[in-house]
This record gives sequence, structure tokens and C-alpha cells, in this order.
Amino acid sequence: MDVSNDSNGLDNSAFENGGLNDAEAEFESDEEELTSDKALQVLESAWLNEKFAPELLPHQQLLVECMVQQIKHMEENVQRLTKGDIRINIHTMEICRIRFIISSYLRKRLDKIEEFAVHLLKEDARRSPDEKYMTTAEAQFARDYLTNIEKLFETVALQHMPQRCANFDLDAISMEPNLKKHVFARANKDIPTILISGVHEMEVSFAKGSQHIIQYSAIAHLVKDGSVQLI
Amino acid sequence: MEPSEVEFLGEKKMVSIVPHFSSGIIHLISGPVGPFRANLPVKVPIWLALNLKQQQKCRILAQDWMDTENLNELIEKEKGEKLFTEMPSDHFMDEAQMLLTAGADDIPDVDNIRTAVKDIWDLRNAKLRSSVIAFVKNQGSTYAKLDHLTAMEINSIRSLLPETLNVMLQIEESGKSSTSTESQQFSSTLDTTHSQNQS
Repeated sequence: MDVSNDSNGLDNSAFENGGLNDAEAEFESDEEELTSDKALQVLESAWLNEKFAPELLPHQQLLVECMVQQIKHMEENVQRLTKGDIRINIHTMEICRIRFIISSYLRKRLDKIEEFAVHLLKEDARRSPDEKYMTTAEAQFARDYLTNIEKLFETVALQHMPQRCANFDLDAISMEPNLKKHVFARANKDIPTILISGVHEMEVSFAKGSQHIIQYSAIAHLVKDGSVQLI
Repeated sequence: MEPSEVEFLGEKKMVSIVPHFSSGIIHLISGPVGPFRANLPVKVPIWLALNLKQQQKCRILAQDWMDTENLNELIEKEKGEKLFTEMPSDHFMDEAQMLLTAGADDIPDVDNIRTAVKDIWDLRNAKLRSSVIAFVKNQGSTYAKLDHLTAMEINSIRSLLPETLNVMLQIEESGKSSTSTESQQFSSTLDTTHSQNQS
């Protein structure tokens, strides 16, 4: 219960500004064919991938919205049940479990956005609108975060400094994710060749269902296209 | 990841219960469960089983593999093999922990099952520790296959192994770049070696 309650604000704030553009609306018609249990599975794997990947993964705004909608429907249905119905308890519990996944997922993304704000904004500026990794709301969050940091530096220290070192340099606080971090992964299908570059250059293959520990950089593209699940 | 989160994932696994109530199919977001008929076994996710059990609305049935004979066979197999053997569930440990605790009064022979599960866990943990040490000492690469490791086992090495490999890789990479510029004796820090390499 606690988890879902304090996350409510988070959910809303991440979606307020996220108006659907044409490309996304088109995509949504595909999305509707997804059954709710399938959507939940996809959300859950997105949650785990986001949790373990060192970099920010492309956003799943539609999926999250779809799930929030499902929860809303379910809550309305539950309201209509008569008191004492055994289903009330069961549905409420499931809703709490899904809320937990959604808020943990969004919170993890915000953590990464704070950490890599400068880098992410720069990267997303190069991408076309429907390829951006951050949602509109997340990008706004990143910009606000940087503005606030700058303001903090300014009021606390910079304004008291001599002129020549009173400049705020965004690049100086820019951090990039370390893509060579090691992650645990499970293959969702057979993958004949994966190239690990670097000091120990080698080629490996993943059989469907097999588990591995490997540099994230070698499988980053496979995580994004869904062939590999981080665990 | 917190062990409780591993458990959270394990709670999705199905288990059989004998309900003390009747109800039609319940349409959960994660799929339908039921219909429930009093005294007829039905499969539900573990989280639901635990919840119903708490309200004393069901009896939990042991998973197929929760049987001392079967578990003892697993122990022997685990002892005989150098590599990890396949467990009946990838949430073996947490499933056992949850069901045996909540269903202690429903599952027959619960103490012996618990001891056997603990034995398997200990055996595998010792194996895991020695293979991790061997892997790190081997230094050939920072890639490894981890077949048949269960979710809880993977999580138990998560705080240590990936970070170790990250550092090993970093040291090796900087070692490589500094040996290639050995002649440049004045390069004192790694940063300067790097920049000279590039130029």
C-alpha cells in the first residue's frame, strides 16, 4: 500500500506533458491488440531491463499509459463490487503489485536522468521525435533539474567567487554511463554471434534460455530489440 | 536488487491450493484465475495463495518437487556434478521459503523438506563461491555462462561479481595502454598516457 501511495505523484508528473503525437497514436492501434496480461509481461521485462542496464533505455510511455489505464478500469470495477466480496481484496492486491512495478520503473529512470542529464539531453537532441529515449515529460524534468542545479551552484558558491572562476560549465558536470559494466542476461532466442570487444576480444553465442554474465556494451542492441532480457 | 524483489518475481509462479470458498473465474489483469470450487484444487499465483491463506480461505498444496525423496535425488545429483544441475524452478529457494512458511500446517513432512532444501542451497552456494573464485583468478576473460543458476543465486553474487569484473577490465585496459607507451618514461599518470596514445 505504501509503495503505491507515495508513488502516485510520480506517475502523474511523468505523464502530464506527454501528449501523443501522430506517430505514437498510430503505434497505439497496434498496442490495443495487446492483451492485458501480455502488456504486463512486457512492462515487467522493461522494468528489469531498466533496473540493470547502465544506460537509460528508450521510453515505454505507451505501455505505461496502457497499464495505468488498466489499473483505473479495474479500480472502477472494484468500486462497484458489494462490500465483503472476496474479489475486492484480490484485485486490490494485484493493483498494488502493478503500481509497484510502474513506480519502481519510473523512479529508476528518473535516477538515471538525474545522473546523466546533460549527456541524455545532448543525445536526444540528435534523435528524431519518435526515436527519443526520454518522454516529453522526462526531458522537461532533465532540463528543470539542470536549471535547479545551476541555480543552486550560483546562490551557494559561484556568486561569491572571483569573476574569472564564476562560470557555470554544464559540460564539467556531464557524466556518461559506463557501458562496459557487467550485467546478467538471459537469451530470449538463439543468438549465433555476439562480439565482445576490448582487451579480451572474443565471440560468443547465446542459446535460447541460457544465462550469462557479460559486458553490457556487447549486448546493448539486443536488450533494446528484446532478444536478451537482463536479470 | 533486494532479495524481497527476487521474492516478488517468484510470487508470480503458480501453486495449487484447495479453496474453502466458491467463486467464478476472477479476471485479473495478469490473466484469469479460477473458477474456485470449495475443496477442489486450483492453480493460482503464489501471491494470491499466500493472501488467501492469511485469511484462512484456502489450504496450500506442496509443489510437485516438494517431496523428500525427489529432493534427496537432487542433492545426490548436485554432489555428483561439477557444474550446476537444473533446479525444478528458477525461484527454487524463495518459492520453498514462502510456501513452507505459509503452508507449514498444510504441507506434510515440512521439516524434512525444509532441511533438504537448505542442504541443496548450501551445496550450490559452496559451488558458486568456488566457481566465482576460479573464474576471477582465471583472468582469461570477463564473460561467463551461468546456466541453471536460480534467480536468488544470481542475486546473491550481484553485489560482488559484476563490480569485480568492471574493475578487472579497467585495470587490464589501462595496463594495456601503458605497456604500449613504455618508452615514454615521463608519462606519469594514466590520463597522460591516454592522451599521448591518441595523439
